[in-house]
Amino acid sequence: MRRAIPAAISAATALALVLAGCGGEDEPTDPNAPVTITLAGWSLSTTPEFKTLADGFHAAHPNVTVELKEYDATNYDTQMTADLAAGTAPDVYVLKNLKNFYTYQSGGQLLELPDAAGGTAYEVDGKTYAVPYRQDSWVLFYNKDLFAKAKVNPPDGSWTWDDYATAAKALTTGLKGAGAKATGTYQHVFQSTVQGFALAQTPSADLLSGDFGYLKPYYQRSLDLQAAGAQPTFGTATTNKLTYQAQFGKQQSAMLLMGTWYIATLLKQRTSGDADKFEWGIAPAPQFDTSTTGTSATPVTFGDPTGLGVNPRASKAKQDAAKEFLRYVVGEDAGKALAGIGITPAQTSDAVTQTLFGLDGVPQDELSKFAYAKHDTKPENPVSKHTAGLQNLLNETHSAILSDSTPLDKAITDAQARAKNEVLNQ
Amino acid sequence: MATMSRARPRRLVWRNTVAGWSFILPNFVGFAALTLVPVVALFYLAFTNWNVFGVADWTGTANFRRMWSDASFWTALRNTIYYAVFHIPLTLVASLGLALLLNRRLRGVAFFRTVAFFPYITSIVAIAVVWNQLFSPEYGPVNAFLRGLGVDNPPGWTTSAQWSMPAVILVGTWRYMGYYMLLFLAGLQTIPAQLYEAAQIDGAGPWQRFTHVTLPGLRHTTFFVTVMLTIESFKVFDLILVMTQGGPGQSTLVLSQYIYQKGFVENQFGYASAVSIVLFAVCFGVTAVQFLVNRRGER
Repeated sequence: MRRAIPAAISAATALALVLAGCGGEDEPTDPNAPVTITLAGWSLSTTPEFKTLADGFHAAHPNVTVELKEYDATNYDTQMTADLAAGTAPDVYVLKNLKNFYTYQSGGQLLELPDAAGGTAYEVDGKTYAVPYRQDSWVLFYNKDLFAKAKVNPPDGSWTWDDYATAAKALTTGLKGAGAKATGTYQHVFQSTVQGFALAQTPSADLLSGDFGYLKPYYQRSLDLQAAGAQPTFGTATTNKLTYQAQFGKQQSAMLLMGTWYIATLLKQRTSGDADKFEWGIAPAPQFDTSTTGTSATPVTFGDPTGLGVNPRASKAKQDAAKEFLRYVVGEDAGKALAGIGITPAQTSDAVTQTLFGLDGVPQDELSKFAYAKHDTKPENPVSKHTAGLQNLLNETHSAILSDSTPLDKAITDAQARAKNEVLNQ
Repeated sequence: MATMSRARPRRLVWRNTVAGWSFILPNFVGFAALTLVPVVALFYLAFTNWNVFGVADWTGTANFRRMWSDASFWTALRNTIYYAVFHIPLTLVASLGLALLLNRRLRGVAFFRTVAFFPYITSIVAIAVVWNQLFSPEYGPVNAFLRGLGVDNPPGWTTSAQWSMPAVILVGTWRYMGYYMLLFLAGLQTIPAQLYEAAQIDGAGPWQRFTHVTLPGLRHTTFFVTVMLTIESFKVFDLILVMTQGGPGQSTLVLSQYIYQKGFVENQFGYASAVSIVLFAVCFGVTAVQFLVNRRGER
């Protein structure tokens, strides 16, 4: 018994020394030595992009194995923050949205990437801290069969928001006349469906200014569509937990504003039977005014990139392998591999567009290809320490307006006052 | 015994102490690591600015001063009090009523007790989904029933800033009354039957028996239930988060959710800790008052 205690202490000390030896040593690295790096992902069984990237990279670099570590999709940032703070996070991790980039970067949790190409949303003071591997943009999905049934002209790329609202109302009336229950459009309960477009498209709109007057016409239109029955009310959507996948996939709505990630979901659901089979297409998102409409112009929309960054706590060998992995994920090979599973990579090229439109079930019309490939995509969450706070209070404003709890003008005035007092001066 | 050496009892005491500690230690280590240390850390963090990474900067009372001018904090505090003020008496009355009803020798009483207890063990997410559908303003059965009764403009429930809190309180009461009913049932069974018989012989009616025998007999149970209900009401979180997410607007935003939002969503752990201390102080204050009132009543 007396010998057991010192023995246990020395065993623990030895273990601690071994563990300490595992991380962060700057030993010279052999580029061909076998290395295993870990990569964070979420819902691995239904989100194949992480495995696609890991396998694609391993095929090109057989000495590097990319091991996936699964996180919960909904609580990804909370869990990642906890793991980073505890020092147990993977070597490479995903920046699911731009909202938390500031926290990770300012907290010293992202390795600077001097070789990465500039000009991305992940730059701070001219230095890059992550690279985007996918870039979704919000577009307009539409059901060609329901348009034909309602005898309404489908979008042609020239729509402003007023054209969209007129079509939504005409569709609702036409579909009702044809005996269908579907509504003209469906804007999901996300604040993005209104605020994302308003911020991206309105000239001089600035989230961080705390002046939210630019939201007004966009909310006015949404309220009108609700009142006209051309769109399920916010109350119905929240209390009945409507999903946008079922609304569009099961032909409950003729139009849907959603990000390009929905292409992959729709394809998958058509195969599984969770979505009906019907003719569909993609059009550019409706525009603020006619200056950005038409296929000769570049439509303005929004969408945050999904990026990858390197954990500074990884050892030198792992950091080198991780940087190599990042070079691969932004390249064309990874882009094509992602497009092959319906994901929109950050770098769209003709080859990527061809790969995606080569998938079974993807519409073949020119407008769909144009809408997928060409747009000026602004970030929904401009990088700043105030972004998370502002988006939170704007989310509360969103539910207050669309549930008709607070009149539009008052809701915007309240939001501006709160932004000033509770966020911007902190 | 008399021949036992002096060293013997000392060794016995030592052995008993070691045995005692060995029983307590596993639990105490868990308590210390998962509760005590975080609580102590919380009191420190409330005086700092900390975003989880790196060192927390000492800012003194800045977080508490910030709270003073933070309208959202006051809204959350008001809403928490709103919830507690209605939820506590409603649940108390409903659970006591149920307990009295189900304390008789009825056929199938065990079945009814189980049914009343059922909401308490049902998943909170399932409860929220089902009640949200029941409360749906346009298609929900609740409003269909109200329209049937001739109400022209039935409430918007969870989709209206005015009615969202009453809706949440109703569901909260429905969920917890079964649990407190069980406590009251246990309390009722400790009241000697002779007291009722004596009261009856003295000519006491049902109401008098209730006020003069049942209520005094349930004194300790009622006190325990009230304290538990108070704490549970002030820290309400999951039900509101899944039913309304604090909305519409901020109409159902409560303190615990505000703490979660500031801490885990906006990474302001220092400020979130300061708000936690306020929530702790409110719970502690109200419970202390209840203990004082109870002690005075016992004299």
